[in-house]
Amino acid sequence: MSLLRLLLLAFFTLLPTLALAYDVLLLQSMHDKGYDEAVRGFKRNYRGSVRRIVLTDYAELDLTRINREEHPKLIVAVGDRALELAQKQHAAPVLYMMALNAKPRRSAGGVTMLLDPGKYLSVLEEMGCERVGVLYDPARSGAYVKRALALAGRSRIKLVLREVHAAKETPAMLASLKGKVDALWMLPDTTAVSPVSTEAYFLFSQAERVPVVTFADVYLSMGGAVALTIDRYDIGRQLAELAQNVLDGNLPEEVGDPPRRVVARTNEGVVRQLKLNTLAGH
Amino acid sequence: MRKRKLRLPPYAKSFRFRLYLIFTGTIALLTAAFVTFYVLTELNAYRSNMEREGKLLATVLAQNARLPLFAENREALAILAEGTVRYPSVLTVSIVDREGRLLAQQAKTQAVAGDVIDMQVPISSPSGVLSPESALLGQPQGSEQRVIGEVRLKLDTTGARERLVTLVAASLAIGTLFWILVSLLCYQILKRVTNSFNLLLAGIEKIGSGTLSARVDLDGDDELGRAANAINAMAASLELRELENQALQDELLRAMRLEVQEEKKRVMARLIQTNKMTSLGLLLSSMAHEINNPNASIRFSGHMIGKMLADALPLLDGVWQEEGEFYLGGVPYQKARLVLTENAGKIVENSERIAQVVQGLRDYGVGGGGQLRQRLDINSAVSAALSVLACQMKRDVQLHTSLGTSIPTIAGSQQQIEQVLINLILNAMQSCAGRSGEVHLSTRHEAGKGEVVVEVRDNGAGIAPETMERLFEPFYSTKLELGGSGLGLYISQFIVSEHGGRLQLDSTVGKGTVARVVLPVAPASVVGVLLPAQHGQHPSDPLHQVR
Repeated sequence: MSLLRLLLLAFFTLLPTLALAYDVLLLQSMHDKGYDEAVRGFKRNYRGSVRRIVLTDYAELDLTRINREEHPKLIVAVGDRALELAQKQHAAPVLYMMALNAKPRRSAGGVTMLLDPGKYLSVLEEMGCERVGVLYDPARSGAYVKRALALAGRSRIKLVLREVHAAKETPAMLASLKGKVDALWMLPDTTAVSPVSTEAYFLFSQAERVPVVTFADVYLSMGGAVALTIDRYDIGRQLAELAQNVLDGNLPEEVGDPPRRVVARTNEGVVRQLKLNTLAGH
Repeated sequence: MRKRKLRLPPYAKSFRFRLYLIFTGTIALLTAAFVTFYVLTELNAYRSNMEREGKLLATVLAQNARLPLFAENREALAILAEGTVRYPSVLTVSIVDREGRLLAQQAKTQAVAGDVIDMQVPISSPSGVLSPESALLGQPQGSEQRVIGEVRLKLDTTGARERLVTLVAASLAIGTLFWILVSLLCYQILKRVTNSFNLLLAGIEKIGSGTLSARVDLDGDDELGRAANAINAMAASLELRELENQALQDELLRAMRLEVQEEKKRVMARLIQTNKMTSLGLLLSSMAHEINNPNASIRFSGHMIGKMLADALPLLDGVWQEEGEFYLGGVPYQKARLVLTENAGKIVENSERIAQVVQGLRDYGVGGGGQLRQRLDINSAVSAALSVLACQMKRDVQLHTSLGTSIPTIAGSQQQIEQVLINLILNAMQSCAGRSGEVHLSTRHEAGKGEVVVEVRDNGAGIAPETMERLFEPFYSTKLELGGSGLGLYISQFIVSEHGGRLQLDSTVGKGTVARVVLPVAPASVVGVLLPAQHGQHPSDPLHQVR
């Protein structure tokens, strides 16, 4: 009898502990369709236990206490805010995804939102463009552009770069590209591409009759010719594989992996008007 | 203050002019209302168009200035503003950023005074454009716009004023022209319409002035045509009546002429009759005088014979007693004695009667004592009248008298009352002419009324109603050819009324006539001497029967 009491006591005492016992703490910046999509992809591939916390559901989240009490083995940050919070602790390794402005530190790896520059270059090459104008903020996209330049050097594409340090400089910088480029490569750089200055790209495209290769479908409707976009669901799955790898004892790479899957879409009307080569294989 | 009455000229009173005035006035009002409405509508539309154009210009400018404003490219903004200010209606163009800093401004050189329309249009970031992060996250495109500046325009409304002036002038000119044209048209139409009225009126006036042969020369089946027909029919009817009236008038005139001639004849006959009566009166007076002298002699002789006979009779009686029967004039003495006595008495008596008759005739003819008013016994007047008429009595007419008793005297002229009674009795007897008849003469006293009544009733032919109305007219007689003067009843009524009484005639044709002389009782005689009743046959009337 006393044994039974002891067992029951142990069961009820340990039951919450059992419920809170997980491997991955998934910190999501906010409720968002894109984040949710990536999380679904993550959960699709990751079979371990996951606790999901949406930061906007809490006024202030004490991540240190959670680490102390719950001892997650891995923290997966979804979004810039979650990544920033996750990097404030050092108890668990951090993986991130869907963080555009991620500045990962040590022991933080993940999947970036920036496609491999080679993908863009191959598309531009396939379109028959040689001089490609790129506007970027060195502080945000300097590394990415450097990689692109390196890759471009191995192809026949020449990147015509313009640095933009403030959003209002974009129209002027674009104007400086008049007659100097065959295409515009729009980077997901929040300085170079702001809501107000976005149309400057397409006005330039229209005026100079050069295509704009962009990073989201939404710009196709504004006049973009080709959009190479990420697959958020696949990013989740890609990160799940990374997480499993980390949980298996491997340290994450400090440089984030580019998304492995690329979705290419074209605005047929623009392509036809600009008489571009149609993309094959995308 | 003296009030002056507005005098309208004759043409202003015509139906045509009034209708024309109403029509033209109404058209003028309608035209003015339409012109006002049109001008106001056009002006509002012009102003609205100007505002819409300004709004469009400002919107286009805001759209174009979005990027230069974002890039703070003042040169580009100035070029845009300059392009906009070239529009005629735009006075100034200003572009300011969100903080209100003026980035570009262009204005026309000439200053315009007057009403200016201010127009402000915000410069917004394009809707539906996402940040790169949102685009990568696949967030839906929003519709919110962020204001980054403002375009301000000032629009010139001088064009609106000029347009208003032009519009008012054109509208007034067109309206006036329209009014003149429609007024002329109205005049022509009214002229045609009211021409029928004028024809009708002229016809009516002509007919009204007495030219009944005139006709309204108006054709048509409308109301005026029917009115003209009715008036023509009325005029024709009046003309016919006029002709009939003229014929009747002529006939009346002829009849009156005939009647005047007849009346003249009758008057002449009456004058002759009157003259005859006058002559008869004179004749009667002379006859009375001539008769009275021998009659006095006869009466004296009768008296003498009577006296002598009275003296002779005792002697003759002695002779008869002594010598026995003897004869006088072949008649035995005893019988002769009676005859002598009787005839001697008759001589005196008849002589006196002749004297009375003659006196009556004389009184009647001369009229002596007629003016005298005296206490008069009506029964004695009746007797006197009967004595005068004794010789006029006809054998086939029976006269009955019924004289009342205790009849008070009246004040009056016996001769005049007798004349009245003679007239009435003669009329009564003459109404029985050609047949046997009865005349009842009665007197009575109506104490309650204080009147004395003499009633002459006959059962003669009666008096026709049309004659009854004219009975008391002078010289009116139904017996002029029989010697009537037409003055009998006229004089009788005059006499009776002079005595304060009245003469009444009631008659029924075929049944007879009742004539009543009502005379007032003399005031003092009401309790005065009462005369004894007289019943019986009048001594002068051989046919008089006592009831």
